Amino acid sequence: MKSQRSALVQLLPLGLVFCAVAAVVLFVEGDPGRLHLAQSWQPPGGERLLGSGDAGVDLSLLAAHATFRALVLALAVACFGFVVGTSLGASAGLAGGARERWALRVCDLVQSFPTFLLALAVLSAVRVPSRLHIGLVFCISAWAPFARLALAQTRSLREAQFVEAARALGASRFRVVFGHVVPNLLGPVAVQIGTAAAGVVIGETALGFVGLGPPDGVSLGGLLEQGTLGMLRAPHVLLVGALTVLCVSGSLQLASEGLRRHITRDAG
Amino acid sequence: MKSPGDGLPPASGGGDASGGGHSERKLGEAGAAKRLSTGRALLAVVAGGLGRAAGALLVLLALASLVFLALRLLPGDPAALVLGDQASEVDRAALRAKLGLDKPLFIQYLHFVWGLVRFDLGESLSRPGVPAYAEVMRALGPTAALAGVAVGLGTLFGTSAALASVGPWLGAGRRWVHRLTLFLAATPLLAFAPLLTFVFAVRLGWVPLPGDPESGAGGLLFASGLLSLPLAAQVARIGRAALLDQSRAKYLEVAAAKGASPARVWIVHALPVASTPISVVVAAQLGALLGGAVVLERLFERPGLGSLMLGAYASRDIPVLEASVVAAGLLFVVAQALAGMVQAMVDPRGRAT
Repeated sequence: MKSQRSALVQLLPLGLVFCAVAAVVLFVEGDPGRLHLAQSWQPPGGERLLGSGDAGVDLSLLAAHATFRALVLALAVACFGFVVGTSLGASAGLAGGARERWALRVCDLVQSFPTFLLALAVLSAVRVPSRLHIGLVFCISAWAPFARLALAQTRSLREAQFVEAARALGASRFRVVFGHVVPNLLGPVAVQIGTAAAGVVIGETALGFVGLGPPDGVSLGGLLEQGTLGMLRAPHVLLVGALTVLCVSGSLQLASEGLRRHITRDAG
Repeated sequence: MKSPGDGLPPASGGGDASGGGHSERKLGEAGAAKRLSTGRALLAVVAGGLGRAAGALLVLLALASLVFLALRLLPGDPAALVLGDQASEVDRAALRAKLGLDKPLFIQYLHFVWGLVRFDLGESLSRPGVPAYAEVMRALGPTAALAGVAVGLGTLFGTSAALASVGPWLGAGRRWVHRLTLFLAATPLLAFAPLLTFVFAVRLGWVPLPGDPESGAGGLLFASGLLSLPLAAQVARIGRAALLDQSRAKYLEVAAAKGASPARVWIVHALPVASTPISVVVAAQLGALLGGAVVLERLFERPGLGSLMLGAYASRDIPVLEASVVAAGLLFVVAQALAGMVQAMVDPRGRAT
């Protein structure tokens, strides 16, 4: 009981981060991209909580909006991967035989694609890369780990005794699949959502940092890039950027670890 | 009873010969079987490597085709993008002819693949007269130096941290070494690299500032050091587990009983056994290291493959972008194949059958 509670406590930091940035995004007026040239690189204090960055953007607004967008993107990509990957993997596992081998081979191929080069190739096909295109890049490869996990789970569930018992009792194929296999498959596969989301946040930050981010610059990578540009004049920008990335990725990883412990405990 | 010479390897691949017979003959047969099974294992590694190479070539071709298509399917005229809107129609037509953009897509693709094979993708657009492959070759040096030093430093730091976290030297401090490596393993390079750069380059002034063209060996060492930290954390984690696994082994007790110092016990006796999982981790992290190299080249404004790629992307220098993406892809698949081969050599379970 105690360890289960502590497993769920690990979700708390992510919830706090998300609520805080969502509150800022929803209730604080202002555009994170608005420039005030007179206030460029101003240190924290006064009416701006975290100071200003390049060309006088409000850092607290920028950090909150960038975090919010990164989290939404990561969750969307992870959920896409979960839905697509689980259905592909489970159906391949149920079909078995050659289809199962092919599914594994395709997963291998997709997972061995270097994301950065993929992003470079896909983003050079569009004139101005938007957040949607970046999400698309991550979606291309996001489903593969889910499919692999779902396939492995299905393979072991297929032979499980309770599935055999259901079959022996005369349950239809539909009932066996959706009443017995799928419910037992979802938990272990859902654990991957947290890991995938953390990966997307880091990947999006890296892309934004090297200049492949959304054009408005409202991304964690853009924030970090401002920080390194103004390292000599205004170190607070760098500090805000690095700490934001640290908090977001750390809380996501903690949450996915908690989720894993919670679900494997339930399953075990 | 077969003679040792024509002995087929037992189906199980193990060394035990079944059946009776003289003890010498049995021994000889077991030796032959063992030799054969070693040869077989090597064959399995090579065969697995070949299969992997075919997969790697497929990945590479897919990546190259993707870049090719992406640049051709660009809405609008690539020539206008490269030359700007003010360029005359004659100039644009000349550029299109130079890049082969006036031919049908299929012919262009054949020409592109043939160019890939011949290592000739045309001349750079932003630096006329320089072949794209020459640009890539020039950029490979700095990136190889950065990544190579990082692999060395990462292995060194990681192994030292693993030894420090199991050896008796630090007392209660070894738990902190372990916690530090866990923290480092969970922290993205992007979060701590700019911070450490600020502290060491700007505040303390120990290392050259980012973008300093005269940064020399100090700059290279610092950048590689940052790049090596994630690798070091992984090596320390796995190395510590492997060393702890050995810690109760009898041969270590024997070594200690013979009067070996703790340093000798851990470094001379235990570390060689733990070096197998460590080499697997290092090989597996090579791909991530290449990704990190791009970020650090950007952070320190160092020349290299990543900077070349990003510059070519920004200026739409089509031949250089194609050549550099293919070269980076090649590096990446070579790293993956290397990791797979190390893994297969160490762990027979992963071998392709």
